[in-house]
Amino acid sequence: MDTQQKCQMRHRVLMVSDFFYPNFGGVENHIYYLSQCLLQRGHKVIVATHAYGKRSGVRYMTNGLKVYYIPRLPFIQQDVLPTLCGSLPILRTIFVREGITLVHGHQAFSTLCHEALLHARTMGLRVVFTDHSLYGFADLGSIHMNKVLQFTLADVHQAICVSHTSKENTVLRSGLNPEKVFVIPNAVDTAMFRPDPSMRPCGTDEIVIVVISRLVYRKGADLLVEVIPEVCRLYPQVRFIVGGDGPKRVRLEEMREKHGLQDRVDMLGAVPHAEVRSVLVRGHIFLNSSLTEAFCIAILEAASCGLLTVSTLVGGVPEVLPPDMIVLAPPVPAELSNAIGRAIELLPQVDPFSMHNRMKNLYSWMDVAKRTEVVYDQSLRSDDDDLLVRLSRYYACGPWAGKLFCLVVVINFIVWCFLEWQQPAKDLEVTPDLPPPQAFADELN
Amino acid sequence: MSEQGRTRRKGYEKGDEEEHPLYRYVCDREEQTGFPLLHTHRIFLKRRGLDSRLRVLILVLACSVLVSRLFSVVKRGESLQWMMVIAALLYLQWHRCRVEQEAVVVMPTLGVQLETVYCSKSVKRRFVPLHRILLPVINEAVTPTTCYSYLALLLRDEARLTLTFLHVRPPLSMLVPIRAALCAAVEQPSLQTAP
Repeated sequence: MDTQQKCQMRHRVLMVSDFFYPNFGGVENHIYYLSQCLLQRGHKVIVATHAYGKRSGVRYMTNGLKVYYIPRLPFIQQDVLPTLCGSLPILRTIFVREGITLVHGHQAFSTLCHEALLHARTMGLRVVFTDHSLYGFADLGSIHMNKVLQFTLADVHQAICVSHTSKENTVLRSGLNPEKVFVIPNAVDTAMFRPDPSMRPCGTDEIVIVVISRLVYRKGADLLVEVIPEVCRLYPQVRFIVGGDGPKRVRLEEMREKHGLQDRVDMLGAVPHAEVRSVLVRGHIFLNSSLTEAFCIAILEAASCGLLTVSTLVGGVPEVLPPDMIVLAPPVPAELSNAIGRAIELLPQVDPFSMHNRMKNLYSWMDVAKRTEVVYDQSLRSDDDDLLVRLSRYYACGPWAGKLFCLVVVINFIVWCFLEWQQPAKDLEVTPDLPPPQAFADELN
Repeated sequence: MSEQGRTRRKGYEKGDEEEHPLYRYVCDREEQTGFPLLHTHRIFLKRRGLDSRLRVLILVLACSVLVSRLFSVVKRGESLQWMMVIAALLYLQWHRCRVEQEAVVVMPTLGVQLETVYCSKSVKRRFVPLHRILLPVINEAVTPTTCYSYLALLLRDEARLTLTFLHVRPPLSMLVPIRAALCAAVEQPSLQTAP
């Protein structure tokens, strides 16, 4: 069987999210690396996201990863304005042109993802959703967000969460059947994040603690303001390197001025991802002070660079690293300071290279792709429901919400029928598939 | 047919083998004693069926009702006549602006002529000298409602693309042979002897 035939038996996946390159973050990284590994395994993968400034249209990334930058500008926090049926024409065209069989949406905050999953189900495609974040239950924003999630996940074939804690959170928020939810953790590019002890201060007993995160409330920047002066007081040999930017940066600068720590706390500002490794290898300990985390790729990157991690005991963080690689503490300044003290005592036992090698065996994006393939195969085995069965699932979402959801789905179906009459799918041009890169073709053969 | 050493060959290339519901592709090659003179690639808009005309009729009537309501100063008894007049004017204007065909005429050693022929038989032409053309490219355009393939010319010292077909959106299978002909003309500007 030649490469082309093998490719035709594989999945044709459309990854949809508001969060993709050139924007940078955990979700963007996840989509990119997962897509690359799926391409390497012979599947066809397309990515759809919104336009970023003048970056609009079709672009090709490494190994022929095709990205549709749909010309819809972001509305708030990188999300496009929700229009329900407004994105149906363009998404329908993409589904038909590329011969998509499965739509994989990412991140509950992405309106484009929710719309794409709705349209995909209306057109009878398979749908998989990945949730990357934890979310609350009590405040007004959370209540609305959870209702939208309930609407989307009422009709999804399979769902993926990045940790068991995230799975519990998603199941409770959306009422989704737990049997439909798979747990596939993120991974780290260990080839990129390699240790380099020569970059650490040598000849002195100085200990460097690295903090790299967005300086916002959710990432515990307020905790840092309390912890850093206390640790500097208790341990005179400790120095901090703080990378990242955000609204809480001002508070950290004020703390530095107030306690006279200019020579012991370096503020680097925003650090491009390509330079994160060069900052991490300068440290002995990595400090994560997040108040909520579904998974936390940052501590994976730090562990891959051979740093001992100190982190707040929140969300899915305890599931990420083995106990001998991480010191956990509640998100309280005094407890976090004690945890840093314990980590300093453990430092002589830490070998960066053995830590890096363990990370290579524990996490790899190819493993994530293989497990995601299992989810795709499972979704294909699911029953193909007609509109009435789908409506019954939406109707069960609530006394008022159920009726509203059914109305939305019916309107979406009517608009799709109109588009089918106005421009039948058989008249839409189908784009030819690009041949896989030679290296991938050789591997498949 | 042969006239004074000239031969004209009409060929239906890939566009005819695949019956496209919207477009018809005709490739016309004119030669003289083995030297290619003109290589014309025409894309015709097919006259669409009854439902298309019905759509246009409904749209025209709706516009005429709207316009006549806006100008509600006319008397009730005359409103139907005014509606008919406005509808006729709108239809004539639509028909006049309707594109019948677009063509790319490749003239070896000279350049490329881009033509647009309207239903009113008026023709708009634009000539691009061969020395200005860097490369013909096929790319995909994405709009808020659809996406399609297009053929454009990259010109030297010009940042903007020059589209070959402004009004029609032929499929990729029709654009590929046109691009091949343009590439052949650009990369080998000297005359070729026929095999």
